[in-house]
Amino acid sequence: MDALITTLLIGALFALLGSGVWIGIALSGVAWIGMELFSSRPAGDAMAVTIWGSASSWTLTALPLFVWMGEILFRTRLSEDMFKGLAPWLERVPGRLLHTNIIGCTIFAAVSGSSAATCATIGKMTLPELKARGYPEDITIGTLAGAGTLGLLIPPSIIMIVYGVSANVSIAELFIAGVIPGILLASLFSGYIVVWALLNPGKIPIASERTTFAQKFHASRHLIPVVILIAVVLGSIYVGVATATEAAAFGVVGSLCLSAVQGSLNRKTFFDSLMGATRLYCMIALILSGAAFLTIAMGYIGLPRHLAEWIGSQGLAPVWLIVALTLFYIVLGCFLDGISMVVLTMGVILPTVEAAHIDLLWFGIFVVLVVEMAQITPPVGFNLFVLQGMTKRQITWIARQAIPMFLLMSVAVAMVWIWPQLIMWLPAHMKLGG
Amino acid sequence: MRAALDRLYNAAGVLAALFMIGTLAMVIAGIAGRLLHFNLPGTDAYAGYCMAAAGFLALAHTFRRGEHIRVTLILEHIGPRAQRVLELWALGVATLLSALFAYYSARLSWQSWDFHDISTGNDATPLWIPQLTMAVGTVVLWIAFLDEFILECRGARLAKVPDEALHNE
Repeated sequence: MDALITTLLIGALFALLGSGVWIGIALSGVAWIGMELFSSRPAGDAMAVTIWGSASSWTLTALPLFVWMGEILFRTRLSEDMFKGLAPWLERVPGRLLHTNIIGCTIFAAVSGSSAATCATIGKMTLPELKARGYPEDITIGTLAGAGTLGLLIPPSIIMIVYGVSANVSIAELFIAGVIPGILLASLFSGYIVVWALLNPGKIPIASERTTFAQKFHASRHLIPVVILIAVVLGSIYVGVATATEAAAFGVVGSLCLSAVQGSLNRKTFFDSLMGATRLYCMIALILSGAAFLTIAMGYIGLPRHLAEWIGSQGLAPVWLIVALTLFYIVLGCFLDGISMVVLTMGVILPTVEAAHIDLLWFGIFVVLVVEMAQITPPVGFNLFVLQGMTKRQITWIARQAIPMFLLMSVAVAMVWIWPQLIMWLPAHMKLGG
Repeated sequence: MRAALDRLYNAAGVLAALFMIGTLAMVIAGIAGRLLHFNLPGTDAYAGYCMAAAGFLALAHTFRRGEHIRVTLILEHIGPRAQRVLELWALGVATLLSALFAYYSARLSWQSWDFHDISTGNDATPLWIPQLTMAVGTVVLWIAFLDEFILECRGARLAKVPDEALHNE
């Protein structure tokens, strides 16, 4: 009976999604079918109450605010300033200015919650600059596609808020837990560039200008605003003076100040960022609404519990569960965006994960890592779409350039499995805000 | 008629943006209250209501701008006639489900009013007031889907390229 219900619901889900029904609506539709057919509760009232409850919950308020902060920063000159501040330091490293992609994305990720926004903001600066200096386009675009995904792993992170709300894990702890894996992944990317540059010595153009240490130091003043912003947002969470939501409010106010100081704040940019953020939040909210209803419907039918019991009875070792889930998410990531992937699966998979005694904080970072991989797998990968729009290249070509980054992310997943302390150490040492 | 409908979607969108500012204002009021030791009861709950209002009221506007995401893999690879059939199907499903969503949202708000349902938090808001934004937003979304469905039937639907939707997620 269970197998029949599952097959029917999954079939309905793929039919609705595949035929181009908007994702949030499709999720509600499947939930409705499930409840009408397999549960005695009235579907309509459950839908309204559940969606209202999830859409108005205090924990989620960090999400629209971080979205807004990203929209404000996207319309500032922050990325130009970061390039000016970083470039002089990187002239001597093998791979030279290619590292601006990685370090730029790492820094911007610490003020932005989204991978595609990170990719777009840094790319609009580094792509033309590196091209003008004669850097090969393939490695420039490949490294940018990979590094852009750090927007998800390095806090603040929209996907972590979504996970934290669905799994009932502290968002502040998730944010802090993402810091070390994020830096680890950035180092892997940079290491790859160094190795690549040493293997292909002729391909990197030689340094155009020599700068003294004093000049380098002076150029770094361009990095001050973003560093202050990071300190305010992440610092306030880490030392426990602010919750994730409060840090997000600091972030919005801080980005408005930064934008005003730079002179890029005016009526138009303010209004554009506000409307852009409202629409972007609304798009996510529709998916979250559908997912909340689907999760409650699944709960009534009892599918997640049965799945957990079934997988438990298979006597699968946790490592194989993680391997299976990684493959499952990579396949799913070829067709769905990250948020839909997380909300769609959490309601069903979490009981299984808990039954396998996997820590939910660790699992959250794991999920973010595999969702990052999904961002650069064709045919559906948001970073690929962004880069396609910016470079007018074929999506398959861009995806091919990003394959090394994809492999490095797989290495990172393996590393956090072998050394869970990479994730668990930092949050264990933070003070939690209220 | 066309202009009136577009005004409706945009007005709801602008209202949503105001609630977005409201969300920020409520969170800041909560922080200020804690730091300066004055007590504003219920800012957490109000922030939640504002956020919900922002999300629901913007639904139709976001849809009209083509920013609600969907899987277009199949739609992009079929002929124009099949595409039209599939679009009608997707819009039909969306119209039906958004009608249910709107009806039960309105019903929830009405029931909260009828039963004098009060928030259990320390804001003690009568719940029908914030829930009304969900009812209004979903009704406007249903109108927008119906509108688009009729346009598609008459072959008058504009093909839209979501330009801003790209830097999301």
